[in-house]
Amino acid sequence: MPSHARVRLEDLARQIGATVTTPGRPGAEVDRVYAGDRISDLLDQSSDRTLLVTNLAGGQLMRVAELMDVPGICVTGGRTPDGEMVALARSHGTVLMVSPVGMFETCARLYPCLAGAKQAAP
Amino acid sequence: MTPTSYPIQGGDYQRAGAASRALKEQLKRIGADPSAIRRAVIAAYEAEMNVVIHASGGCLKATLDERRLEVEVADEGPGIPDIDLAMKPGYSTAPAAARELGFGAGMGLPNIKKNSDFFAIESAVGRGTCVRFTIHLRPQEARAVGRHSLLLAAAACRQCLKCIHGCPTRALRVRPGGPAILEHLCIDCTACLAACPWGAIAVAGAEAAAEAASADVLVLPPAMPAQFGAGIAPGQVLAALAEMGWREVWVMDAWEAALRAAVLDFARTEAAVRPVISPACPAVVNLIEARFPSLIGSVAPFWSALEAVREELAGRRAAFVVSCPSQRTALESAGFETMLPAVVRAAVAPRVVGAGDRRAAGQVEDSPWRETRLAESGAILRVTGIRHVVNVLEAIENGLMNDAAVIELFVCDEGCLGSPLMNEDPFVARHRLGEAPAASSGPAKAIRRRAPFVGRAGLRLDADMARAIEKLGRIEALRRTLPATDCGLCGSPTCAALAEDIVMGRAAGAVCVRQAGGSR
Repeated sequence: MPSHARVRLEDLARQIGATVTTPGRPGAEVDRVYAGDRISDLLDQSSDRTLLVTNLAGGQLMRVAELMDVPGICVTGGRTPDGEMVALARSHGTVLMVSPVGMFETCARLYPCLAGAKQAAP
Repeated sequence: MTPTSYPIQGGDYQRAGAASRALKEQLKRIGADPSAIRRAVIAAYEAEMNVVIHASGGCLKATLDERRLEVEVADEGPGIPDIDLAMKPGYSTAPAAARELGFGAGMGLPNIKKNSDFFAIESAVGRGTCVRFTIHLRPQEARAVGRHSLLLAAAACRQCLKCIHGCPTRALRVRPGGPAILEHLCIDCTACLAACPWGAIAVAGAEAAAEAASADVLVLPPAMPAQFGAGIAPGQVLAALAEMGWREVWVMDAWEAALRAAVLDFARTEAAVRPVISPACPAVVNLIEARFPSLIGSVAPFWSALEAVREELAGRRAAFVVSCPSQRTALESAGFETMLPAVVRAAVAPRVVGAGDRRAAGQVEDSPWRETRLAESGAILRVTGIRHVVNVLEAIENGLMNDAAVIELFVCDEGCLGSPLMNEDPFVARHRLGEAPAASSGPAKAIRRRAPFVGRAGLRLDADMARAIEKLGRIEALRRTLPATDCGLCGSPTCAALAEDIVMGRAAGAVCVRQAGGSR
């Protein structure tokens, strides 16, 4: 997904109807979203301005997020992140949210939020 | 430099990524640019995970030299029968357990190759695999260092080492010749002043009181009127100063209240982050710039109360009584006279002590300060004392403080009242100020900063990255020979600090008493 204006993760969570499990760093922002289920792809596409959208709900993904300074992760399909994932998110200050819908629908909801922000930006 | 080795345990998904994380920290310390760090971390993580997934164990060896990071990841694994096939994107032999965790996409080796400037792989079936890659590093731009107003008196130092353990940024050393401050780490707070019982650490400032004739305005910290003991009301102190010829005396409490109100308003109407950190204490701002650069964006863009008074008085003749080194530093180039509280105390005390219950007329007026304090206190979390300040900054950094709108942090206990330069205990001072009528203050207001807050490269070992790499190697090698007790007897606060001091050439006379042979 191409870069857009920056959007606050807490605003994104509200707009797509996701539940925030760990609030993370205050005011954390992203300007891009990457969705995938393969660690290599997520690693390759990670940055300090990227929201990762994934079906993976385990601790290993959090280690990748910490390594790459990823500000936020959205777990799709209403999956419950395991305890290790939540604990790591809390200690790293990563925003962890759970979207009630699947990856396709989550991305569809995210797209206008970022594309809209681009149009609204001066 | 000699390679640094990180062992990797096969099949241990809990600890997987630890080697890459350690490598990342090293690259930050030499000041490599973020894009190179990113590429190095991706490649190292993929190589590390290959060992975790496929082998019983292995080792990541990182060598930093001039402008290159060389990494070798060798394992005792099954080996790869067909390397060309393994290099093909999408080809994987990972077991189902790894695939469930999101691994085994067949992208590991291609990802390493894509992110490195040189890549090589050797493998023998039944013996193991060795991946080597190189990444060229460029230095990141260097940033400013700090200033401070601490004075060291080597003759008074008794080598008690209290200061080195008290310093929150590990900026102090005690050598046979006396104490020393590492300027790039010092945040100009009062921790060492408070720790030193011998007067070997002091604040720069005039030895004699300024003459009333030399300035139009005298500016006092809020604690100053409370420094003359029981029964001496703040109003009497102000009256004594008036007798000495000071026509205008501004006490900064109302300025602190104005800043508090402005920061609250900023948090309500403008702030993009929560919580907002008040810039009330300049040493806390220094601490954030040096140790918590990620929080710079959370600091409200105002001058501290003292800096606001400084801005307001620009062009006038004024004398300031400073309650800490960071206040003195803030005034350093402004052309005002600065005095320490003790100097003013000595000059004023003869006029008020023994004066009985005489109340000064004309000094009794109601200040907006008390009302502001009462009305707004619920929205502000006030944290004082360096240990608590560091705890709370860490919590903010980790996103755990979203339940506060504004956080006011002071490095001294009980805020500026608790400066070690003050005579009275801060709780006693608060009690006396609370009972007394409010002081005159001048046109109290908050003033927006023009200059932005900027981070400091406090951890950088050398402005030249090649030299930084070389130093890092020597530091690591030395550190491994030290006992890791952090006893401080050598005069450096920790064993790692001693290793760094030796390599950086600032350890003359430092000896590790616990190391074999007692030599360094």
